[in-house]
Amino acid sequence: MKELFSLASRQLGRKKLRVFLIVLGIAIGVAAVIGVTSLGEGIRVQAVEQIKASHDLTTIDVSAGVEAESITLITDSKLKAIEREEHVLFVAPYVKDSYVTQNNTYLAVKGITPEYRQIHRNLQLEMGDWFEERGDHNEIVLGYDVAKRLSIIEDLGIGDEFTTKIRLYGEEGRPKDKPAVFKIAGILKSAGDEHDNQALVGIKEAKEMDEKDAYDGLFVKVDDPAFAASVGDKIEGLGLSARSAQDVIDEVNKLMVAVTIVFGFFSGISLVVGALMVVNTMIISVYERTKEIGLTKALGASDFDIMKMFLAECVIIGVIGGILGDLLGIGFSVLIDIVGKPFLVSALGGELGAGLQSGSITAITPGILAAGFTISLVLSIVSGLYPARRASRLNPLDALRQI
Amino acid sequence: MTVETRDLTKYYWMGKEKVVALDSVNLKMEEGAFISVVGPSGSGKSTLLNVIGCLDAPTKGEVYLAGWRVDYRNKQSLVRLRRKFMGFVFQTFNLIPALNAVENVEYPMYFNKEGRSKSERRENAMKLLDMVGLEKRANHLPSELSGGEQQRIAIARALANDPKLILADEPTGNLDSRMGKSILDLLRRLNEEEGKNIIMVTHDLESAKKMSKVVRIMDGRIQ
Repeated sequence: MKELFSLASRQLGRKKLRVFLIVLGIAIGVAAVIGVTSLGEGIRVQAVEQIKASHDLTTIDVSAGVEAESITLITDSKLKAIEREEHVLFVAPYVKDSYVTQNNTYLAVKGITPEYRQIHRNLQLEMGDWFEERGDHNEIVLGYDVAKRLSIIEDLGIGDEFTTKIRLYGEEGRPKDKPAVFKIAGILKSAGDEHDNQALVGIKEAKEMDEKDAYDGLFVKVDDPAFAASVGDKIEGLGLSARSAQDVIDEVNKLMVAVTIVFGFFSGISLVVGALMVVNTMIISVYERTKEIGLTKALGASDFDIMKMFLAECVIIGVIGGILGDLLGIGFSVLIDIVGKPFLVSALGGELGAGLQSGSITAITPGILAAGFTISLVLSIVSGLYPARRASRLNPLDALRQI
Repeated sequence: MTVETRDLTKYYWMGKEKVVALDSVNLKMEEGAFISVVGPSGSGKSTLLNVIGCLDAPTKGEVYLAGWRVDYRNKQSLVRLRRKFMGFVFQTFNLIPALNAVENVEYPMYFNKEGRSKSERRENAMKLLDMVGLEKRANHLPSELSGGEQQRIAIARALANDPKLILADEPTGNLDSRMGKSILDLLRRLNEEEGKNIIMVTHDLESAKKMSKVVRIMDGRIQ
């Protein structure tokens, strides 16, 4: 075996420039695939990092399960069942309603429990206080934008009471407006999310108002991110819909892997060129060495021996091409990072762009390098099969007569 | 090894013209014999050598090597026969340019699967180089050697797997008379001292007469 390769390398050594050119051809193809794949991988890693940074991986977002025609509501018994699950620290149910003031200003209202604030730790008071749990009168905390609107349109501020209505539908489907008086207990700082446009009330008061039996949603806090998926599965087993940041990460991963494979595949077209070069060069080599092949057969080599000799040369080309391709690929990915990052950052802008700024947009993994090397090796061998077979089938006498 | 041909016939087609290369050739060669085949160009002498050497198949007739009939349809057995029992010497030397002298001599041993270890092969190759008087040239590439030296390397290579039969196709054809003589001397020595059977195709009738039994061939027939 060792001698086979030493012989093959001697044969290749006679045609250094030619070998260098094919190796380079393959290496460039491999480098293109590695570069593109590393870009896909880099963006995937960045996206996942950003999701991890902005999401709590221990929180599961549960909503009513919708399946075909039937809806599974989040009832109290479901809530209890979830609470009993292992690894669940606490649950934070909420209801969502729409209230309207006497001056026809609509308020998106969420009825929450104190646990809700443990999930959304970004909810901080700008002024005033949180409503008291089970207080003897209705209190409300306004989101930042809601507070501004109410103060401008209705001249309401901290400590003011105002009348609001919720529209309910009776059994015959007739609308019925139910009024209630709320006192503004506090105003939130801007959270930069949906809460700026919501008003929060205690869940007990909210349920008294809307007379609903079920919750509109709930958050589940687990003790460790590792169990988020399994707890989520159990919740889905109850017929409800569960989402966690891990689901988002999974989706991003799936998407980016698919995109990377498609890109890698198309950049791999350059590999076809490399493969054709190998085929061409090896066919030329068989022609040039026809007489030598005939001689080798006359000296006792079998067809398989001849085939092995040519394939060994292809293996050497593939190995060198793979190593060179990996090195060029690393260089290419660094180049993409240097040239492509400023472009991507400015194109994406905002938070997403800023997130990219800190890291690298390409990522080379051992897997990518191993794949590059394997592609080069397999490609060279496959490309060499036809020429090698052709060489092995030469008639020794005809081959010897060749001038 | 005895060699015997029975009604050995070979034709091939050049376009629509049938060319008779061998026409019912019956040849018997005793153990340790040296036969020179002479004849004009196109008389079929090389074809005879190639058929006996298992490089070419006859149209009709049979070849017996050491009493065994050669089965020309069994490619693997032809490969084995060439590997174990034949040593070829060509007019144009046919050394492998990428390999140096000693590696060229080792080359056939490499395909002999029941062969020796690497060091044994090297030892044997050096011994053969010594025998042809070129041990000092072991590390030279063919391009650095004269024609006579190359042919001596080629003879050493033909002996690599210790064959019973050496088939030489005009081994002196590309050499001047002095070098040619040294090659013929070498072949005679192999025949006399090592007991190798040799079949040589040649134009040099005078030399052939001195050292071997001469077979004349004309239009594919032994005269």
